[in-house]
Amino acid sequence: MMATRAAATEQRAHLRRYRSPRDGRWHVQLTLGDTYVTSDSGEVLTTILGSCIAACIRDPVSGVGGMNHFLLPDSDGHDREARCYGINAMELLINEIQKHGGDRRRLEAKLFGGGNVVAALSDVGARNVSFAKQFLADEGIALVGGDVGGNIARRIQYMPATGKALQAAVRDRSRDLVEDELSALHTVASPAPASDVEFFE
Amino acid sequence: MPSAAKIKAVVVDDQLTMRTLVRSALQQIGVTDVREFPKAQEAIAAMKTQPAHIILSDFNMPEMDGLEFLRAVRADPTLKSTGFVLLTGRADVELVKRAVQFGANNYLAKPFTVAVLKQKLEQVFGPLTA
Repeated sequence: MMATRAAATEQRAHLRRYRSPRDGRWHVQLTLGDTYVTSDSGEVLTTILGSCIAACIRDPVSGVGGMNHFLLPDSDGHDREARCYGINAMELLINEIQKHGGDRRRLEAKLFGGGNVVAALSDVGARNVSFAKQFLADEGIALVGGDVGGNIARRIQYMPATGKALQAAVRDRSRDLVEDELSALHTVASPAPASDVEFFE
Repeated sequence: MPSAAKIKAVVVDDQLTMRTLVRSALQQIGVTDVREFPKAQEAIAAMKTQPAHIILSDFNMPEMDGLEFLRAVRADPTLKSTGFVLLTGRADVELVKRAVQFGANNYLAKPFTVAVLKQKLEQVFGPLTA
């Protein structure tokens, strides 16, 4: 229990968490690169997506679940490295669910995003959708819903305890989204050094 | 200078997608003798009859995690000299320090590039030829 609480604290450190005046529930807002998992039945996970993907995954028995928000970087011919970035985003989410007590064998997913929100990024959304669907198929995780593709940006609310997801089309934030995604797209998926420790035989 | 083609590698990760990706990256470097296992226990059993030069193992695995796996390898007289590279999901200094204490040869933070993987292997084996 203590480990779970510590993990939750670590996750929340940089995320915006607020009580919504509309429904009175705690909302956790994710942006690009975030992952968040909860076993709190009252929490609502929210994000806004353009070409990005949000995978919403949960264990329906334990009620543990969460969301990530990622965008495969521009592969520039290095498709393996772009996929590595996406696999890592999915793995972080799945591992965190397991740490909170979720059972990998029971996981179910909903996918959102991958929209074609600007002409300059026409194939990016589709590439992200294709990756996410393939990942779930390869890992044997049931895809039970969601909404991907199209020409819209989306605002998503996901309640892991019930698996319920709400979506609304977004127009007012499109310019910000495009700028964020263009920036992320050209960020090479460089590995973060775990430390300055170098060790080997 | 060791030849990458002669290296026998074992990849352990509970996720098929990541195992496939690591295998593919190893093959690009020239390491073609690669065996994959979803569980550390299965890898240990297999290596007792077919030894490997290097293990690349994920840390987060549900039954036996990467550090427990590392400790089991280092405690086994038939496996203890096998190289061990721990794959970590995110930058984690404490995890790396513990891995050092338990005898890891190196770590690899995901997401990684083929160039970084090669660099990590060369820190274990020395410069590699194809």
